[in-house]
Amino acid sequence: MASLDPALVEFLSSGVVLGCASRDARLVPRSVWPVGLRVEPGGEEITVFLPVATAAEVVANLRDNRRIALVATAPVDHRAVQVKGQVLEIRPASDEERSETDRYRACLARTVDPLGVPRAVLLRVLHWPAHAVRFRVEQLFVQTPGPSAGQPFQGPFRPPEPVRT
Amino acid sequence: MISLRDIPECFEGVIPAMMTTCSLEGEPNITEISQVHLVDDQHVALSHQFFNKTQRNVRENPHASVLVLSPRTFEMYRLELRFDHPENEGPLFDEMSARLQVIASHTGMLGVFQLRCADVYDVLSAEKVEGFLLPPDPRVDRPDLAPGRVAAIARELRGLQAISGRVNRASCLEVLLESVLQALDEELGFRHSMVLLPDGRGRLVATASHGYGSGGVGAEVPLGEGLIGTVAARRRPMRVAGVGAELRYWRTIRAELEHAGSAPSAPEIPLPGLPDAQAQLALPLLVGDRLVGVVALESRTAMAFDAWTETFLNILANQIALGIDRASSADADESEPIPIAPGPAPSAVRAPRKRVFQLFRNDDCIFVDGEYLIRNIPAKILWKLLRANAESGRTEFSNRELRLDDSLGLPELRDNLESRLILLRKRLEEKCPDVQIRPVRRGRFELQVSCAVDLRESESA
Repeated sequence: MASLDPALVEFLSSGVVLGCASRDARLVPRSVWPVGLRVEPGGEEITVFLPVATAAEVVANLRDNRRIALVATAPVDHRAVQVKGQVLEIRPASDEERSETDRYRACLARTVDPLGVPRAVLLRVLHWPAHAVRFRVEQLFVQTPGPSAGQPFQGPFRPPEPVRT
Repeated sequence: MISLRDIPECFEGVIPAMMTTCSLEGEPNITEISQVHLVDDQHVALSHQFFNKTQRNVRENPHASVLVLSPRTFEMYRLELRFDHPENEGPLFDEMSARLQVIASHTGMLGVFQLRCADVYDVLSAEKVEGFLLPPDPRVDRPDLAPGRVAAIARELRGLQAISGRVNRASCLEVLLESVLQALDEELGFRHSMVLLPDGRGRLVATASHGYGSGGVGAEVPLGEGLIGTVAARRRPMRVAGVGAELRYWRTIRAELEHAGSAPSAPEIPLPGLPDAQAQLALPLLVGDRLVGVVALESRTAMAFDAWTETFLNILANQIALGIDRASSADADESEPIPIAPGPAPSAVRAPRKRVFQLFRNDDCIFVDGEYLIRNIPAKILWKLLRANAESGRTEFSNRELRLDDSLGLPELRDNLESRLILLRKRLEEKCPDVQIRPVRRGRFELQVSCAVDLRESESA
C-alpha cells in the first residue's frame, strides 16, 4: 500500500487532466475521462468520479476485476503522476459529491482556458450523474515526459515549476 | 465506425491524447501522449524517445485504447488499436523523426534525443464518445462561424487562381515575391509569411516578408535547423500545429533533464518570425529536385494550417518556384523599362548628412554608422557600387557587369543575383535610406545617394 504526501494531494486536487483506465477479462483496455477525485483522509485511498454517460464499460470492468489506473497531468507543463490500485467500492455519487465535480470542472476550465480550450467547452462536459469509485492506492509512478517517465515514484512530490507558456 | 480522415485535426498534436494499455498480468496502464500520428485510414503511429511501460505492454498484449479530442469541436473519439509492428527506418520513421527534431531544436535540444522507434498500430475501431459533451446551447456557446467546406474550397480555388495570375504577370523577382505574399494575405487570409532564398553558403536568407513590419528581411536560417531549415534540407513540406503545446512539452523534458543533472548545454533558439506563433507551415520551392527557396507561413491560431492547406499551398509553391526560377535566370532585356513601386521619398530638403560605411574584409561584412548592414556577396556588390560612385560619380550599373566581375564571387551557374540585389535594396531601405538602388530597366539599376559617404576598410573588427 502507498500513501500520498501533501504536495501530491494538492497536485491531484488542482486543475489537472485526469484519465481512468480499466481492462476486461480478455485484457482489452478501456478508459474514460473522470470528472474529479477526492483523496480520502490518510492519503491511502482515492475516490474518483466517472460520468455515467461515458463510463459504462469502464465501470463494468472495474466491477469485474477491480484493477484500476489513474493518471493526473498538469496541462500547463505536462507534469504527471500515475496511480494504480484496487477498487474497494462503486456506488452512485451522492448529491453532496456533485459540488466536488462542479469544483473540479471549474478549476480545469480556468487552467486550460489560457491554453486555447475555451471555458465554455469545459462547461459542456457532461459530468452528472456520476459513479463514485473508491480505490486503495497501491503503486505510484512518475509520468512526466523525460528520462524518469514510468519509474516508481520516489517522493516527495515536486510541485510544478512555473513554465513559460 | 467513423473514418480517421474525417477527424484529421485530432492527429495534429494540438491537444494531448490518453493512451491505455494492459500488461499480461492484467495491470492497466494509462498515460498522456503528445501526438497520435495518422498513417492512413487503418493505421496510426506513436513515437518513442524513451523506453516505457506502454511499449512493453503492447509487445506482450497488443491491445490498446486511445482517447483523442478534436481541437475544432472538442468532441472526444475512442480508437481501439492493436499493435502491429515497430519501424526504425523508412519514410514514416524519417517524417516523425524530423518533426521531433524541429521542435527539439527550438528548445535547445537538437540531437539530444533520437526517435527510438515508431510503433504502428492497426485501428480496429474509431467511434465518437457519445455523451461526452452536452449539445451546444445557443445562449452561451458561440456559433460555428467557419464557412462550409464547399464555400471554403471555392474561396481557396479563387485564391489560387488569383495568386497564380500574379506569379504569371510578375515583371521581376521582387514584384513576384511581394505580390505573392500580399495575395496570400488578401486572398487566403495568411497574414504572416516570408520567402527565404538560398545564399549558396548553406543558409537561407529571408528576401521578402509580409506581416512582420520592416525587420523581416535579411533573417538567416541555417540549412537543417528549425522548421524552415529542415524543410529546405528534406525538400518536403512540414507543419506544426499547437506550437505552444509542443514547446511546453519539450521545456518540461528539458526541466526534467536539468533536475537529473544532465541538461543539454545548447540555449533555446527563438522561433523566427512571430514570438507567439501557434502554427507554422513551411513549403520547399522546388524546380525538379533543385531548391530555389522556402515559403514559410505563421499564425497565432493553432489550427490555421491543416493537411488540406498544405496540399493546396503546395500547388502554389510549385508555381512560385517556377516563377522564381524564371525571374532569376532570364537573361535580361536591358531595353525594357521595369515597372516597380516607387521607393520611399528622398528626405526633405536639408543639409546632406554623412554616413560612414565600414567594410570588414575578413567576413565581407558592412556596417553603416556602426550598425550591421549586410554581408557576403550583397556586401561586395554594395562596396563596388559605392566605390565606383565615389571615384567617378557613376550612378547606373548593369546586372551583366556584376556577373562579369570575378571579385564578387558569384557562382557561374544560378547566381541568384536578382535575389541578392533585392536583399541589398531592402536592407538599405531599412538601415540607410540615404543610399538606394532602384531598378531602371530590366537588368539595369541606379545607385541613388542623398548623403555624403565616407568609405572605410579594415581587415577585421
